[in-house]
Amino acid sequence: MSAESRSLRSGFLKSASRFPDRPALQLGGQVLTYAQLRSNAARIAATLSNHAAAGEPPLTAVFAHRSMTAYTGVLGALLRGHGYVPLNPAFPTDRTRGMLARSGCRSVIVDRNAMAQLDEVLQGIEAGLVLLLPEETTCAELAARWPQHRFLLQQDLVDPERWAPGPVDPDGIGYLLFTSGSTGQPKGVMVAHRNVTHFVDAMVQRYSVTEADRFSQTFDLTFDLSAFDMFVPWECGACLCAPTQSEKSLPSKYINDCGITIWFSVPSTAVLMSRLRLLKAGRYPTLRFSLFCGEALPIEIIEKFADAAPNSICENLYGPTELTIACTLYRWDRQRSPGESELGVVPIGEPYPGMKVLVADEQQREVAEGETGELLMTGPQLTLGYYKDPERTAAAFMVPPGHTEVYYRTGDRVRRPKDGRPLTYLGRMDNQIKIQGYRVELGEIEEILRQEAGVDVAIAIGWPITSSGADGVVGFLGTAEADTAAIRARVMARLPPYMHPSALKLMPEFPLNSNGKVDRKALAQLLAAEAAEASA
Amino acid sequence: MQEQEIRSKLRQWIVKHAKTAPRSELTDQTLILEEGILSSLDIAEFVLYIESLRGEEVDVESLEPKVFANIDALYSSFFAAS
Repeated sequence: MSAESRSLRSGFLKSASRFPDRPALQLGGQVLTYAQLRSNAARIAATLSNHAAAGEPPLTAVFAHRSMTAYTGVLGALLRGHGYVPLNPAFPTDRTRGMLARSGCRSVIVDRNAMAQLDEVLQGIEAGLVLLLPEETTCAELAARWPQHRFLLQQDLVDPERWAPGPVDPDGIGYLLFTSGSTGQPKGVMVAHRNVTHFVDAMVQRYSVTEADRFSQTFDLTFDLSAFDMFVPWECGACLCAPTQSEKSLPSKYINDCGITIWFSVPSTAVLMSRLRLLKAGRYPTLRFSLFCGEALPIEIIEKFADAAPNSICENLYGPTELTIACTLYRWDRQRSPGESELGVVPIGEPYPGMKVLVADEQQREVAEGETGELLMTGPQLTLGYYKDPERTAAAFMVPPGHTEVYYRTGDRVRRPKDGRPLTYLGRMDNQIKIQGYRVELGEIEEILRQEAGVDVAIAIGWPITSSGADGVVGFLGTAEADTAAIRARVMARLPPYMHPSALKLMPEFPLNSNGKVDRKALAQLLAAEAAEASA
Repeated sequence: MQEQEIRSKLRQWIVKHAKTAPRSELTDQTLILEEGILSSLDIAEFVLYIESLRGEEVDVESLEPKVFANIDALYSSFFAAS
């Protein structure tokens, strides 16, 4: 492997050679060493390579949910020389089928969580697939029902020694991740190997990661922050510790029981810990770093977390998938930071090494220092654009006037730094919100509401509002009569759980603002008034 | 409050906050977190609700994750002994 170019797999392979007997992965009481994980992944890589279909794109789907199969599947895809495409068993089958079809993947690694959905997902997939099924499953029924696909069982896996490392193009896709799209169609973000290796190098250096570190892994694989959880520890021989769904409900116990040293979560998890009275002073002595990303981080939460983790440095990370996991960061300082914060949330700080910031007006021209505008960024973490979607790629990845480099338009409103102050996040330019850390285009929910309700206007409002975004969504339908329960059921069948409207309300006439647009603030005020009345 | 009433209230709360439908009918043995019916982020709200039913605070520090496994576990952990 001496000539191996840098890619998503190279750090793991280096660690597997240096630290074969150290733990690489801990999940639900099971621990795999680097040698074991490498062996399991090599089996998958060699087996799928043997069954490759002609014209197959270098992408393998991993239809799994934070399971042993998920992690070995990701590495199996990478060892094969492919990028991976995570698919979430918690998402509706139509959505998963659409992502699978659009990705063009011909190989799919399936875990036990996904088996219940598999038959339904396969309906309408015409291209022949090779599907690797989990342990304790049989394939006779599936094979009879779907003769165009080939089903492999664990006993079909070949010897790991038969894995031969082929070349990997650092500019090729390391992972293809579908995010919420405003037109109702998820967008596939192509993240190159070199984007991620640049990010990983920056993180390893900043956090002085060693093989003794133990990282939390709380993010679903369809959330790009999971790439931090996997590839930063595996670069250094450290251990990835993945709580089960139940263990995630009590993160405090998990941190202490596992001796986590580097914690990474959405701020909502810290809010959960605060509400459960679990951020008591000195509670988490093993933490060296506590990192938050994915939504606005309230000051009172980071203050409490810093007290609870007295040996930890706390940082707020920021970044859209299109700029590879995170691209700015801010280190919390008890004395200095409150004065640098606006709107009660922690600043997003400084760009990562090599990344450049442009705060621009509507014509993409830089605004004056201290003024607000849209955040545009470029640099080595700028991803390859949207998969098979040149139109939306051109709209979001563009060269601003007076510049020669392509920048990504984040759609986030920030204040341009002045007098050495950090970059400050002020909200979205459009109707994208964060729900429990997930990026949600309200337009996507609205499009599906319109389709299912057969109305011209449907509006989705993030509700209830939280200090870090919203806790859910309420939908408004532009009609006087409708079977809201039936519509809600149909909408829920098409959207992932975090996008489900908690309620649908009928609104024959929408309030309008001075521009003649639906007045979203008035709708939010309506919900607030209803809530106040209900609690009175 | 009687056992059946408590179980019924727990079930109603879970149904109201469900992120996804259970694979089959929601019973007292259905795995509410592992099946993704509730997310881990719902637990804080759920604990507050349990406290309101019990009329006293829960010692969260001493809890094991398995107490949230299903309605049977919730009842026996938070209500049966009280």
